[in-house]
Amino acid sequence: MIELLASSIRLATPLLFASMGGLLCERAGVATICLEGVMLTAAWTAAVVNYYTHNAWLAVTVALWVGALTMGMHAFLTITARADQIISGVVVNFLAAGITPLLTNALFGAPTNTPSIPLSDRFHSIELWGLSEVPGLGKILFAHPPLIYLALALPFAVHFAVYRTGLGLRLLASGDGPEALRTAGVSPGRVRYVALLAGGAIASLGGTFLSISHTSQFTRDMTAGRGFIALTALIFGKWRPVPTFFACLFFGFADAVQIQLQSTTVFGIQFPVQFIQALPYLVTLVVLVGFIGKAIPPLSIGKRLG
Amino acid sequence: MKKLFSALKGPVAGVALSLAVCAGLLALLGESPYVLLEALQSTLFTSFGLGYTLFYATPLIFTGLAVAVCFHCGLFNIGAEGQLYVGSVGIIVIGSLFPNLPGALALTFGVAAAFLFGGLWGGIAGFLKAKRGSHEVIVTILLNFVGIALANYLILYPLRNQTVQNPETVELSAPYFLPTLFESTGLFESTPVNLALLLAVLTACFMFFFLFRTAWGYELRAVGASNRASEFAGISVGRNTLLAMFIGGGLAGMVGVNEVMGHQHKLVEGFSPQYGFTGIAVALLARNHPIGILLSAVLFGALHNSAREIEFLSDKVSKELSLVLQGLIIAFVASHYLLENTLKRRKKGAA
Repeated sequence: MIELLASSIRLATPLLFASMGGLLCERAGVATICLEGVMLTAAWTAAVVNYYTHNAWLAVTVALWVGALTMGMHAFLTITARADQIISGVVVNFLAAGITPLLTNALFGAPTNTPSIPLSDRFHSIELWGLSEVPGLGKILFAHPPLIYLALALPFAVHFAVYRTGLGLRLLASGDGPEALRTAGVSPGRVRYVALLAGGAIASLGGTFLSISHTSQFTRDMTAGRGFIALTALIFGKWRPVPTFFACLFFGFADAVQIQLQSTTVFGIQFPVQFIQALPYLVTLVVLVGFIGKAIPPLSIGKRLG
Repeated sequence: MKKLFSALKGPVAGVALSLAVCAGLLALLGESPYVLLEALQSTLFTSFGLGYTLFYATPLIFTGLAVAVCFHCGLFNIGAEGQLYVGSVGIIVIGSLFPNLPGALALTFGVAAAFLFGGLWGGIAGFLKAKRGSHEVIVTILLNFVGIALANYLILYPLRNQTVQNPETVELSAPYFLPTLFESTGLFESTPVNLALLLAVLTACFMFFFLFRTAWGYELRAVGASNRASEFAGISVGRNTLLAMFIGGGLAGMVGVNEVMGHQHKLVEGFSPQYGFTGIAVALLARNHPIGILLSAVLFGALHNSAREIEFLSDKVSKELSLVLQGLIIAFVASHYLLENTLKRRKKGAA
């Protein structure tokens, strides 16, 4: 049970980064179905930089920029080129899914995965203040690599930034009433650019975590729909940071149960692996249609600026 | 004529720009950009290459239409990938339930099964959108994962061909086989392009008629243009949402007619090289016009075929090149506003 909960937190981490990055973009009024693509390019970059430089933190930093640039492309297409937000998201996902295996192939001779990063170069678990010795909770909360602590703290930081700072208020205005923002002398387009670059940087950490902390290499399409699950968590949390945090934990738990089920039998029955693998998506779907109630998105989302 | 020219200008410019960027990318990857031209030449202007191009274009006509019909209703169907697997399963299910039907009936049953199974899978998203307001983009994406898992399960367990190692289903019985074009006309020797191509072309013409010449199509497009205005005019938004997603899913399901009835005669795990997602690009390039989709499907079929050819010719480039090309084409077409505006400003500056 303790292992299951610890594993839930590990699996919730990429969702947390992606959904918090997505939150900034969507609250600013830009639909982001391209979280998937942002995580992919970041995951690829982190794996490659970590492999060549043997420096995990450098990998995080470079991937942060690449993630921001990937989302920056979405910003350019939706804000400057006035493309449809969903279509632009599809573009970014296509390009990310195509360019990462192409470059992997160019560098390492096969498109499927990058070479594995040696253990000594990777992130290690940090046991905070000896708290991991606390029975039960200790192992669940206090024996993780650094990015996980960052992910767990992030929603509260985002909450503060969005609701308690001037920049945050501009962000909310850009999503709910860009015209009002313009009347106040602030360019909503510029606010959206800032929000998307920041959101892309945050979402990139989800990809980085997958390739250099959770595993030790980039594999083709390794995000496997997590960007979309993060988006559902965001809707489930009604675009608010703290409820979204709990939604991510819930989806992380569903994923952990899925992995556990693959190796065990329930009441003597071994479920077919295809059913089990579909479980997180099915749970997401049921939650989306069954329990969310009326989720009102930011008012101007999906619309071009006038 | 002038109208046709101005309609084609944007897409043609988009494709040309994308090919140019792609050539640059090839150079960057250490491959000669001429490989792209060489591959395109052989996939469009040799009988063997064109046969394969048309074979890949056939499913893309169906998925392109699947995306387009939903677009006309204001819906974004990203679920064609799941729908086409469920539709293909439908053919195998009906084929194994009724193996001994006479020829014409078997073909009708097969096509109807593909349409119905795919349609029901797409209809789920339409139903949820209409009844619960769930966003169709997320629902169709999630249903892709579930639908593909479901198809894989059926392929590996209940419908599996136990006599071979490969993950594939039992074979269809002979009455369900759709003849290849070579068998029926003598064209395109030793390529898998089959009569499903003809069916796809007829379907596109029918969809044109349906969307622009019938009251049903008019209502569907009215809902796409404005939910509120349609509601005022007494057109049910929910009913049309459901209808559009059902038709969209059904059209995607008909990919199985090409793959299962026309080519493999069985369903193989993971057969689709993302036909469903490429359908989005096909529809966008054609601005959702059913006849335009015929042209754009052939183009994307050729690009897919070329990317495979390049992978074969080169050790530096893998077939994911076609994903990049698709992304670029959609990007250039979707940002036509920017391109047109820059051109206009240039002209003004010159005058």
